[in-house]
Amino acid sequence: MPEQKSGYDVLVIGGGIAGEEAALNLANIGYKVILVEKDISIGGKMIHLSKVFPTLDCAACITTPKVSETARHPNISIFTNSEVKDIEKNSEKNFTATLVEKPRYVTEDCTGCQICEEKCPVVVNDQYQWDLVGRKAVYIPFSIANPRIAVIDIENCILCGLCEKVCPANAIDFTQEEKQTEIKIKSIIIATGYDLFDPELMPRYGFGKYKNVVTSMQMERQLVPTRPYNAVLRPKDGKMPDNIAYVLCTGSRDETIGNPICSQVCCMYSVKQAQLLMGALPMADVTIYYIHVRAFGKGFCEFYQQSKGMGVEFIKGKVGTIKENENGNLVVRYEDIEEGKVKEAEHDLVVLSVGILANTDFTTMFKNIKIGQDNFNYVKQTDELTNPAKTTIEGVFVAGTASGPMDIPDSILSAGAASAETASYLRRTNNEK
Amino acid sequence: MSKINPDFSTELKKYGAINFNACYNCGNCTAVCSLSDEDNSFPRSMIRFSVLGLESEIQSSVIPWLCYYCGECSETCPKQANPGELMMSLRRWLTTKYDWTGLSGLLYKFIQLSIIAFILTAVGVIVFSVYENFKLENIMHYGHLFEMLAIGAVFSLILIPNIIRMWWFIILKPKVKVPIVYYFKGIWDLIVHMFTQKRTLGCDDNQFRWFEHFILVGGYLALLFTTIVLDWFGTENLFIIVLGYVESGIIFIVTFDFVLSRMKKKKEISKFSQPSDWFFVIWLFLLGFTAFVVRVFIDTNLLENNIWIYLFHLIILVQWALIIVPFGKWTHFLYRSFAMYFEKLQKDIKISP
Repeated sequence: MPEQKSGYDVLVIGGGIAGEEAALNLANIGYKVILVEKDISIGGKMIHLSKVFPTLDCAACITTPKVSETARHPNISIFTNSEVKDIEKNSEKNFTATLVEKPRYVTEDCTGCQICEEKCPVVVNDQYQWDLVGRKAVYIPFSIANPRIAVIDIENCILCGLCEKVCPANAIDFTQEEKQTEIKIKSIIIATGYDLFDPELMPRYGFGKYKNVVTSMQMERQLVPTRPYNAVLRPKDGKMPDNIAYVLCTGSRDETIGNPICSQVCCMYSVKQAQLLMGALPMADVTIYYIHVRAFGKGFCEFYQQSKGMGVEFIKGKVGTIKENENGNLVVRYEDIEEGKVKEAEHDLVVLSVGILANTDFTTMFKNIKIGQDNFNYVKQTDELTNPAKTTIEGVFVAGTASGPMDIPDSILSAGAASAETASYLRRTNNEK
Repeated sequence: MSKINPDFSTELKKYGAINFNACYNCGNCTAVCSLSDEDNSFPRSMIRFSVLGLESEIQSSVIPWLCYYCGECSETCPKQANPGELMMSLRRWLTTKYDWTGLSGLLYKFIQLSIIAFILTAVGVIVFSVYENFKLENIMHYGHLFEMLAIGAVFSLILIPNIIRMWWFIILKPKVKVPIVYYFKGIWDLIVHMFTQKRTLGCDDNQFRWFEHFILVGGYLALLFTTIVLDWFGTENLFIIVLGYVESGIIFIVTFDFVLSRMKKKKEISKFSQPSDWFFVIWLFLLGFTAFVVRVFIDTNLLENNIWIYLFHLIILVQWALIIVPFGKWTHFLYRSFAMYFEKLQKDIKISP
């Protein structure tokens, strides 16, 4: 019999910037909120980014205060490393759901001292540095993680017990098991965010085969203060690149991979990274291959023009194929649309500006009721223009990129809308529609 | 000044083009095409011309013939605008533009007319054999004679004038000045392309497709020679008999595989078939197969009592020679090689000072 908890008002699924914003808004007006995060730290994707466009403000500096506020709010209970399943709607304002909390094998006594991490003999790819470097099997996910509690990656752990011996707080506990909790809530906000396109699905770009073809997220990690190599280096031989190419629309606006829509952020994050690269590697040439540059937001076009002024080269034409030379340099083949001629160019590092795909986790969470999915696999907004947070289920709302691609300010706006809709739903009396 | 003609897309759709208006000009197709180069970057340029309906630009271009349809552009097109099939339909359209009689245009567009033409030719052969009282010897004699006459007539009345028209569209009309010497210099290339189709080897897909096509062309031309000059059906020479068997065998085995892949639709090249494509492969298959069977009947002395098998072969032969060769897909054999020849002329002029 799973443990039961009640007395909550809202379940927020997803602890990224949208989930946090929605949870905070509701908690601040007195609702009791449960925030469930699948990952081992809250903060979502934004906490891993370097700067935001078009202001070039530090992303972590904007998001960490929100993360801490969420974590310390008396009205918010956070479940990390947890998933939601079996959501049932019994009547209006009466939902039940099951939380599945996976074991961390480290208790909350952990002080985050990282001595276990030093001693652990197992090294595997670090998913929080997008596989650019390694991490241990027992690890603090990243320096600004919240909660700052270590976790044991049991699949790669060799059960040597060294961490248990060295832990000064006796926080290692290999006996932990999966815990299920049944909760009662009145309403739900889906803020499950997005997935990034996996460029291995486009073999003609050679990602996975050619080491110097990296994703934009890997480049993003190379530009943050906690970057893996403490310099921008290309992965194959550690050379400092001086001729970098960006391939826009990798996995966006492409029907062959099932994602015909624009991801809305790739143009601008690529322009941003190009500007940051100009600072990090002042001698480097940066070329951006594009179909159309979509600089539609406030200050975006100026930001784009600024990058041109800084010397970033823009070439109209989608890259067709990427081939590797013996020295690790890459030859990109494209049609220069302005001249109408097919051309080849050599670069020593190629960044694939990967697009945003729907995170479809939400489709399997519901038990006795079905949630609508739109044509692009996102949560269906039944009233996109006048009531954007509404889903096909009354009392279930959507926030942020769970409803479609958008940038950070838009996600926060969307979360604001979702929390307002939720509050309004909770205040209404039962017989009112 | 060119004039935009939006109706052209409706016209092209009749030749099999699909969805090319979806193109958003990313250039992916040109970049993945292994045959595309700086001098001739395609297929996006042709999609542009087709969307805008710039007919004279397409007519004066050799580019549609430079594509050998590996299908990679269609597979990777982000808008699924099907550039490969557009190039194919442009070739069909150009075939009808080169044809001075205008008949191929009608046969391509209206399948009913093709069927009527097939029926009329079949009836003609039957009426003729009734007139000859089904005397095998006479019919076979005239059949052989027909082959020679048909080749002469089709070439001198239809195909050679068509190639001259093609030359006019590509070289004369756009006022490309080609010194006479260049025409002679390019002849070797023309012959090589005509008999080897070596440009296909530049395609990234498997080389087996080239090999199949290569032996099919070889087998077809050799069988033509064997039946007409060496009189395969009349000869007693064992070497010639075996040679004919091998050639007709190659034809029907390879075309059987072509028909099969058009039915399976697994490869990009065989996904979309127009009636003209079906007629071409099926008739070529029947031609090889019936020729093979007729010779088997001759060798087993069964033909005297089974004259119908020869009549069937003759009907196929007449339809092939009078419909498919002059007005159907057969012509790509000539137009492709000549397009390659004209492209070489254009390039030579650019290089020369």
